[in-house]
Amino acid sequence: MNPLGQYVELVNLHLRMMRNNLWFMIMVQFALCAGLILGFGYLIPNISESAALYVTTGAATQAFTTVGLVMLPQFLSESKTLGRFEYFLTLPISREAYLLSQMTVVAMVATPGVIFAVVLGAWHYGFSLSIDPLVIPAVLLIFLSLAGVGVVMAVLSPHPQLTNALTQLTIFYVVFFAPVMMPVEQLPGFLQHASVVMPPTYAADAIRGTLTGLPDTHALHSMAVLGGFALASLAVSAGVIRKRG
Amino acid sequence: MPMLEIRDLTKRYRNGTLANDGLSLALEPGEVYGLLGPNGAGKTTLVRQVLGLLKPTSGSIRLDGQDVVANPGFARRTVGFLPQGQFDIGDVHVDELIYSVGKLRGLSSREARRRRDELIERLDLEPFRSTTMHAASGGVRRLAGFATALVAGNRLLVLDEPTNDVDPIRRQTLWHLVSEAGEAGAAVLLVTHNLAEAERFIHRLAIIDHGRILSEGSPASLRSLVTEKLRLELVLAGEVVPHPALTAEPGSVGSFLFEQSDLSFVSAWLTTLRTAGTLLDFRIGPPNLDDIYVAAVSGPGTGGVDRETALVAS
Repeated sequence: MNPLGQYVELVNLHLRMMRNNLWFMIMVQFALCAGLILGFGYLIPNISESAALYVTTGAATQAFTTVGLVMLPQFLSESKTLGRFEYFLTLPISREAYLLSQMTVVAMVATPGVIFAVVLGAWHYGFSLSIDPLVIPAVLLIFLSLAGVGVVMAVLSPHPQLTNALTQLTIFYVVFFAPVMMPVEQLPGFLQHASVVMPPTYAADAIRGTLTGLPDTHALHSMAVLGGFALASLAVSAGVIRKRG
Repeated sequence: MPMLEIRDLTKRYRNGTLANDGLSLALEPGEVYGLLGPNGAGKTTLVRQVLGLLKPTSGSIRLDGQDVVANPGFARRTVGFLPQGQFDIGDVHVDELIYSVGKLRGLSSREARRRRDELIERLDLEPFRSTTMHAASGGVRRLAGFATALVAGNRLLVLDEPTNDVDPIRRQTLWHLVSEAGEAGAAVLLVTHNLAEAERFIHRLAIIDHGRILSEGSPASLRSLVTEKLRLELVLAGEVVPHPALTAEPGSVGSFLFEQSDLSFVSAWLTTLRTAGTLLDFRIGPPNLDDIYVAAVSGPGTGGVDRETALVAS
């Protein structure tokens, strides 16, 4: 079986492995996105259109981050503990196809929430979207890069508790300390510097650049950086898996 | 050419634990080879190296003539594997898992369906076909895992504790399928504690402890290690001081080994117990594989055969 066939079979298998939790996970994404979008409206009365755009696109980015950097590492960590991870590594399958299939499955979980976030935000705050066709490759690259970094976290983490703790911190970082829900100028200097190496920065920028008319976005540049993150993390995790104690 | 040939295999983990210490063994095609040993003996470490999941510190592993250490992908293509443990594969149904693994192991959709249905029928898994792996009982999970190891007809099967939690009738079927795979030319490396039932299906076995092979041979040749002995099982009504000729089996209550030449002393002692009303039941018979296993891994004076004797046989 060629790697593409393996990838399709593995996506199929992983969806079946999650069949009892799939709807629940998708619903949680809806609730998280709606909560962020509506909640920030309460927090900031008379929110400006530009701030509302940041909140909405930030919530969409947050949905990607939650599945890529939180759900996926926790999912993989659980697989490692249960011995599933190692079992799959004994099958004659491409390591990259295996990792990509996991990333695809979480992407499928996230997508409805993201679409919902954007539509809800536009309706609730009464702004119009300007959708660029580049949004499709942008979303694909965001998935691959965030989920890729999530896989690296899970593969390198020695035990699930550490993975869980790290992923929880990630959520706080993305909501309050990253240029995701707010423009980068609102952050203190050291966080501005730190944001340069953080994938959610580029994910948020790519979303804003392809869905809104907000100024100062660099969608193509961000997509290139995200592509770099995706390739590097896939190479690192496949390399770690191949290393064999 | 052996299907699997392991030479001087040593694995020392980074924390210093020596899990395999100069192991050598070879499996011919069609051979069912048992690997026995207490927990922590180094069995799983050995298996993980054969599968290419772990790199040996030194030594070689050749699978059908190919160097597995240099080419772990070959091991994955060649070995059908059932891991130890729970085999909890989430909410995938039993039949879906067998089919998917068949496909991932290179079968066509049609062939994967045929093998899935055949194995489900043989292992009597029809009632559990649409049970999720997560919800299935331990025994059903083992059987489904066993089916995934067999599905693609691999030339080497590595089965780690295949019968754990499996009911007696399906166990028999499982052993028959192992035998059939052997007859079809596959080599089978079997890790098990369940000596008594595996004995009939194993051609050769190695007893390993502390990462080394203590003894190796056919069940019959290993039995000769304790052939001068008899096994006594007692059911007693109260506390009794065992006859000096008896050596207790570690880990079992009421089982002893003794020299055949001591039979008359032992029977006289049993008669005394019976008269006193303390002996409810007894059985004397030849030693079984469990005795050999215990004899090989325990020190002198506990199992009837000391480690020196066991080592001579290897």
